[in-house]
Amino acid sequence: MSRGTLIYAAQRLVLITFTAIAVSSIVFIGIHQLPGTALASERRNNPASEAALLHRYHLDLPWTQQYVIWISGLVHGDLGESMVYQGTQITPLLLREVKVSLTLGLAAVLVTVVFGMSLGVLAAIRQNTWVDYVASTTAVVGYSVPSFVWAFLLILLTVSGFYAWTGGTIYEDIGWGKPEQIPVPALALGLPYAAIVARLTRASMLEVIRQDYIRTAWAKGLSSRVVVLRHALRNALIPVLTILGPLITGIITGSVVIEFLFGIPGLGKEFVTSILSRDYNVVIGVFTFYAALVGLANLAVDLLYPVLDPRIRY
Amino acid sequence: MATSVPAPLEISEEFLAPVSSEELPEQVTLWQDAWRRLTRNHLAVVGLVIIGIFLLTAIVSFVWTPYPTWRQALGPTYQGPTLAHPLGLDDYGRDILSRVMGGAAIALSVGVGASLVASAIGIVLGLLAGFYRGKIDVVISTLINISYGVPDLLIALILVVLIGRGIQNIILAIAITAWLGMARLVRGQTLSLREREFVEAARSIGTSNTKIMSRHIFPNALGPIVVQATYLVPAAIIFEAFLSLLGLGVPPPSPSWGGMASEGYKALQIAPHIVLMPCLALSLTVLAFNWVGDGLRDAIDPRMRR
Repeated sequence: MSRGTLIYAAQRLVLITFTAIAVSSIVFIGIHQLPGTALASERRNNPASEAALLHRYHLDLPWTQQYVIWISGLVHGDLGESMVYQGTQITPLLLREVKVSLTLGLAAVLVTVVFGMSLGVLAAIRQNTWVDYVASTTAVVGYSVPSFVWAFLLILLTVSGFYAWTGGTIYEDIGWGKPEQIPVPALALGLPYAAIVARLTRASMLEVIRQDYIRTAWAKGLSSRVVVLRHALRNALIPVLTILGPLITGIITGSVVIEFLFGIPGLGKEFVTSILSRDYNVVIGVFTFYAALVGLANLAVDLLYPVLDPRIRY
Repeated sequence: MATSVPAPLEISEEFLAPVSSEELPEQVTLWQDAWRRLTRNHLAVVGLVIIGIFLLTAIVSFVWTPYPTWRQALGPTYQGPTLAHPLGLDDYGRDILSRVMGGAAIALSVGVGASLVASAIGIVLGLLAGFYRGKIDVVISTLINISYGVPDLLIALILVVLIGRGIQNIILAIAITAWLGMARLVRGQTLSLREREFVEAARSIGTSNTKIMSRHIFPNALGPIVVQATYLVPAAIIFEAFLSLLGLGVPPPSPSWGGMASEGYKALQIAPHIVLMPCLALSLTVLAFNWVGDGLRDAIDPRMRR
């Protein structure tokens, strides 16, 4: 990495920090206009203990003061305490969960890139043959089938095998952490987006393989593997990179549903649980994490551009 | 000395006579042309037919379904497809065919409704940002960029918790997260269209800004807008299914496809039809809209053709 890249990355990191703070501030302010919290549903037979609880969460203060307390916690990396599970600090909880979500998300991105690119390249180099038609049709159908439907189909296709292998579909009940639990949710999450990548790869491969330098490569007598993978694919991937940012956001969105369905203890599941139980401190915390995650993912994608195209420099 | 008056121009009768329609190539408007290209695209036609069928089903479901969508214990629970219940019964013994029909009405209203509301917001804000630029643009663009930093499902979930789960509220919640793409598109179109000669001409004769935007810029950006609005429909349908799966969609016993799938999930092993039927309907509808969207994109702007 060059010096310029490092400076660029540092600038982006500062920007990501500010975006995360901005997003969570908007959510904080929005949420504090709502009536009721997790505490409001509790029995109020003891005014003294309720006042103590309100005081513990600073809910007895006007929201402007609450915001100041909260933001000074945030800059120290402290997202406060859960309102439902009193005594649980949110930052370590979410850090633990983000690891789970990241494992799943990265596996899904891998599925997307590997399946999508191979299907796209295959369709392009066999353009207008049955391989192309099958691959292109699969791709259109693929992105119309949402991730959760893929999950049902994958489970059904391997019903007995799946249950024997992973021990059940609700991972929470049987404990999360075994590697064999990852493939099915990761495939479900990645396949719709793999279809999008396949379409894009095909289109940009078709453009690239008609160019002169590819003809030169063939004329030099290079093997088709080298021409396709080394010469063509590398340039064909640049347009594909542009979709990778929105795609990662999409995978994160899908992971909320997939984690919920499979009972995977990640950020997405935490978000749904906390919003249903009105644990607003956790909700705000998850938003902060997601904003940072989306920012970092986009930064990672942008740092890939100069790797593929040396003319791009930061 | 008399100034010579130029003789009146002689125009022969031949030029004044109306041109017979045979001599002119057939006159086709942009939209007629697009429609013709769309109907020549097989996938788009299949998509239109599928959408037509689901639309018809949805309309019929308002007045008639084989069984009431909410009636339980019509037969053994989890029963597979039979003659009386072609798609089987669910975990409460409700007729799945009736519920899939009712679900079509919900899916299409949410999809089309959210697309229309999101398009309306996106078009207005996009036009304002692109036309006036300056401060308005900064505010709208910042809003868009911040929103892009958060997965939209999270925002929709919070909104649903905030404003409730009625079908109008679901449409609103989805639309509030979905207008960003439309606003970006319209802003970009407006930025380039506002520099064109016909806009300058309109301004030179004193046309008001509102009129320039509505009569000159908007119609010229309509092609991409229609394509984007079409793609918004399946996206909103999937979004509603997501919300229902998480238990925050259209409240039961309304037969939402996502809700039906989430109810059947726990019995996936013993009665897969409960999950598969609504999922099939959902995927088919989304596929049909995507085909029509692709067809429209190629038909309206042939340059965008892949």
